[in-house]
Amino acid sequence: MAASARKVVKAYGAGETRVMALDEVDVDIERGRFTAIMGPSGSGKSTLMHCLAGLDTVTSGEIRLGDTEITGLKDKKLTQLRRDRVGFIFQAFNLLPTLNALENITLPMDIAGRKPDQPWLDRVVDTVGLRDRLRHRPTELSGGQQQRVAVARALAARPEIIFGDEPTGNLDSRAGAEVLGFLRRSVDELGQTIVMVTHDPVAAAYADRVLYLADGRIVDDMRDPTAERVLERMLSLSGDGTAAHTAPGGLR
Amino acid sequence: MTVVRTSLRNFVAHKGRMVLSAIAVMLSVAFVSGTLVFTDTMNTTFDKLFASTSSDVTVTAERNEDAQQTGKPASIPADTAQRLEKLDGVASAQSDVYDERITLVDDRNENLSPTTGAPTIAGDWGPEEKKSMKLISGKAPRGPTEVVVDADTADKHGLAAGDAVKVISFTGTTEARISGIAKFTATNPGAALVFFDRPTAQKKLLGSTDQVTAVMLTAAEGTSDAQLKKAVAAELGGGYQVRTAKEAADSAADEVGEFLDFMRYALLGFAGISVLVGIFLIVNTFSMLVAQRTRELGLMRAIGAGRGQVNRSVLIEALLLGVVGSVLGIAAGVGIAVGLMQLMGTVGMNLDTSDLTIKASTPLVGLLLGIVVTVLAAYLPARRAGKVSPMAALRDAGTPADGRTGTVRTVFGLLLTAAGAAGLWLATRAETAGDGSGLLALGIVFSLIGFVVIGPLLAGLVVRAISAVVLRFFGPVGRMAERNALRNPRRTGATAAALMIGLALVAALSVVGSSMVASANDQLDKTVGADFIIASDVGQPLTPAVAKAVHAAPHLAHVTDYKNVNAELTAPDGKKEKTRLAAADPTYAQDLRTETDAGELSAAYGRDAMSVPAAYAKKHGIEVGDRVAVAFTGGKTARLTVAAITTDGTSLDQGAMYLAIATVERYLPADEMPANVLMFAQAEEGKAEQAYAALKERMKDYPQYQIRDQADYKQTLQDQIGQLLNMVYGLLALAIIVAVLGVVNTLALSVVERTREIGLLRAIGLSRRQLRRMIRLESVVIALFGAGLGLGLGMAWGAASQQLLALEGLGVLDIPWPTIITVFLGSALVGLVAALVPAFRAGRMNVLGAIATE
Repeated sequence: MAASARKVVKAYGAGETRVMALDEVDVDIERGRFTAIMGPSGSGKSTLMHCLAGLDTVTSGEIRLGDTEITGLKDKKLTQLRRDRVGFIFQAFNLLPTLNALENITLPMDIAGRKPDQPWLDRVVDTVGLRDRLRHRPTELSGGQQQRVAVARALAARPEIIFGDEPTGNLDSRAGAEVLGFLRRSVDELGQTIVMVTHDPVAAAYADRVLYLADGRIVDDMRDPTAERVLERMLSLSGDGTAAHTAPGGLR
Repeated sequence: MTVVRTSLRNFVAHKGRMVLSAIAVMLSVAFVSGTLVFTDTMNTTFDKLFASTSSDVTVTAERNEDAQQTGKPASIPADTAQRLEKLDGVASAQSDVYDERITLVDDRNENLSPTTGAPTIAGDWGPEEKKSMKLISGKAPRGPTEVVVDADTADKHGLAAGDAVKVISFTGTTEARISGIAKFTATNPGAALVFFDRPTAQKKLLGSTDQVTAVMLTAAEGTSDAQLKKAVAAELGGGYQVRTAKEAADSAADEVGEFLDFMRYALLGFAGISVLVGIFLIVNTFSMLVAQRTRELGLMRAIGAGRGQVNRSVLIEALLLGVVGSVLGIAAGVGIAVGLMQLMGTVGMNLDTSDLTIKASTPLVGLLLGIVVTVLAAYLPARRAGKVSPMAALRDAGTPADGRTGTVRTVFGLLLTAAGAAGLWLATRAETAGDGSGLLALGIVFSLIGFVVIGPLLAGLVVRAISAVVLRFFGPVGRMAERNALRNPRRTGATAAALMIGLALVAALSVVGSSMVASANDQLDKTVGADFIIASDVGQPLTPAVAKAVHAAPHLAHVTDYKNVNAELTAPDGKKEKTRLAAADPTYAQDLRTETDAGELSAAYGRDAMSVPAAYAKKHGIEVGDRVAVAFTGGKTARLTVAAITTDGTSLDQGAMYLAIATVERYLPADEMPANVLMFAQAEEGKAEQAYAALKERMKDYPQYQIRDQADYKQTLQDQIGQLLNMVYGLLALAIIVAVLGVVNTLALSVVERTREIGLLRAIGLSRRQLRRMIRLESVVIALFGAGLGLGLGMAWGAASQQLLALEGLGVLDIPWPTIITVFLGSALVGLVAALVPAFRAGRMNVLGAIATE
């Protein structure tokens, strides 16, 4: 397993006003697979990802990243763990505006004081097709290019696992498809493990497996999804049809 | 109203971001109002003192400012009081005896007189004294060996009744025992007082029991002071000075007032510098707030707010900041004034807090200053806010980078800098110091403004250079720090400029100061032949007894008397000029080998000869051999031949006109002959040490005078300049503190602005330690940048000043590298300190919260 959660509870507040963002969640993320986490707003999907990635602490339960139990780790260890073993792609603002594309890509390794593995770096850069954009600053890149740089950064350090938080949420459908294509290929060709939070059924369809969260619990686990099946499931889960409104893009 | 409400809410919402700006306003206003309150209080204190010590009408001997400084106290016949008592309109007439140039020492010859420049006054314990002082222990003095001393002096030196003291006056030394201690009923601003009984005071201070110093008159009911003055003047005729209480108090206040005014303007000048520095901080704060609120401002515009309204909303915030800062500043100013009063207490000037004077104008000035400065500083950012387009509301957040420096700005800045450089360069080429000083001032102002304007441009160059040297040791963290410092050159430039101003002044003054020391040392080595110099540090003339003691000392090749003689000169061209001549023994030509442009200096000490400085000779077209009419004040007019023209390129005795004392004696009666102000001595060959020891031994009884050999003299000079510089540095510290607040402010606001970025960095594995280091390095780079510019600019100013002052004898340029390097490295430390809080806060940020920030 690349990552696992056991009886993970994340609660905010206390007493009457106690809100369970995660309610005894058990989940295993398989190595070398592309997993999508879906659910309506407030379902706890982002919280789950943040906890798995060591960005957020849990109230109780146990989270492992590979063989390492990360619950209870101190900030210093967690930081090291994120630096050396985890890659991130956020929805927006992924890049440091003061660094050029290449510097952004190698930043986690630079911070760690490691030399990038040049052949691998070349392969990653070529995979995301950024060879001629490496010296550009983020402001000189389009939104799609920026996200591709973020993907390259996540891949370049060869982390055990990459977490994406709505990585295509801010992109138009073509750029989004491009980025998702790269993520898919990195799983297929490079054997990368990826976990991605999304509310877009089309994006989720790129994954090998889709986990559905509602009210802090895992309510479904779908293998080899297609956009139609994902949308169907979302509609049935929300029950009142609101999901249709919250799923932008819909079917094309 | 909506605009005001929005501003108010913004102000409150961002109060954390306003804190440092408010502190900057507060500090500046506090310094200004503190200065005003303090100097007003001093004025009140002195006014009260003078009012309490002056009678309706005071009669003294005529006092002429031009009179020769013979050292002897002026006096009037003792029977004046009896004469005046009989006049109509006089209720009472009291004689008074006093002398202000006294030195009080204890039985071990330790000086008990104040060293602050306040006088030591000896007098008689008479009715006039009892008006403002009362005996608090012991008894009144009686007989030739008893004195009463004031309580402050007694406290300071642990004196009590029965202790032996010596009172050294111009006429001699009196050994006495303390019979009692008296306390001032008003505030004693630091003078030491000692009282004899009447006959002793007359004899010891005035030399005769037939004389008194003054007669104090009280007007009878129904007679005004002015009427009484008129009657008294008519009765006495010439040779007396008759003054009403108001005139006496005014003239005394004028003397003190000049000093107080000087102090006030000097302090206000330094306050002005810190105000200037504060402006940069405020500009930065508002620029950053406006940048951060671009979306919000865009929204306001989108829903229909006009440009003016948006503009006004920012200005109203500035107004609020100005009000808050000023009010706090005025309160703090009173605190500063009280602190200064306490400080004066430690140097012997006791000011009473009950005299604390806060004029209505003080808070007004403070408020006005704070508000005007803040609103002015916020004007440009406010205008930029008004220009935010409604579209900004729709764009993705992210702070818009300020981008490149405008071409206009660059060209304008370069032109100003070039003009400044030209001014400085021309100043060094100036023919006369007068022409040059204007150019120098222009050069300084233009180069300063030029540097401020091209600051952003320089930021790019200098920060990269500093990074290349310093930051590359810190890997990617260093690189990010460099990029952050360069991200917004205008902001970095303004932050650094604030620091630059203070440090430029420090550098310039330290260059001038150390050049002064170096030039003087150089001059001393080249021109001073005398081994020993005898003088009083507080400017007292040398008493005849001291002169005698020096002349009698063994192992001396020669002793030179040096006097200042007042006279009116009439040049051959008919122009008259009141001046002070330097009369000395001919050996002075060996003691100070001043170079001459024409003639021989030694010839100037011949009979009916003199020397004039080159400037005077040039002004009046005088050549060697010409004659100058010299009307000695209180003596006859002599026609003296100019035997030498001395160079202006000297810092010692510059502009002095020399002549022999023997020449003066021919035209000035003996009782008008001024006392020595300086004495010089030359040891016999190889006997320097013995001579020095012998002189010291002989001078033991006169601790009010200092005897120095050349090494001592150099040290004293260096100490004096060093002290002066330290004082100036101390006052500049305020400006530097405000500048450091500016660095803190910029960093703190940048950290807020870059919250998301910091979150991202932390998410992808930047440790807290690395994050803090990144912010610290950014701070250090900004500080070093400001210090580099400031020190460079300051050294250029200092060097240009020295080149200009070379005309006035400041011939040696000495750049105090240890000081400069210490300041530069110190500024790196300042950068580290400035980053402490911002770095700590950045480190504590919640990673997820930071990423989610809009």
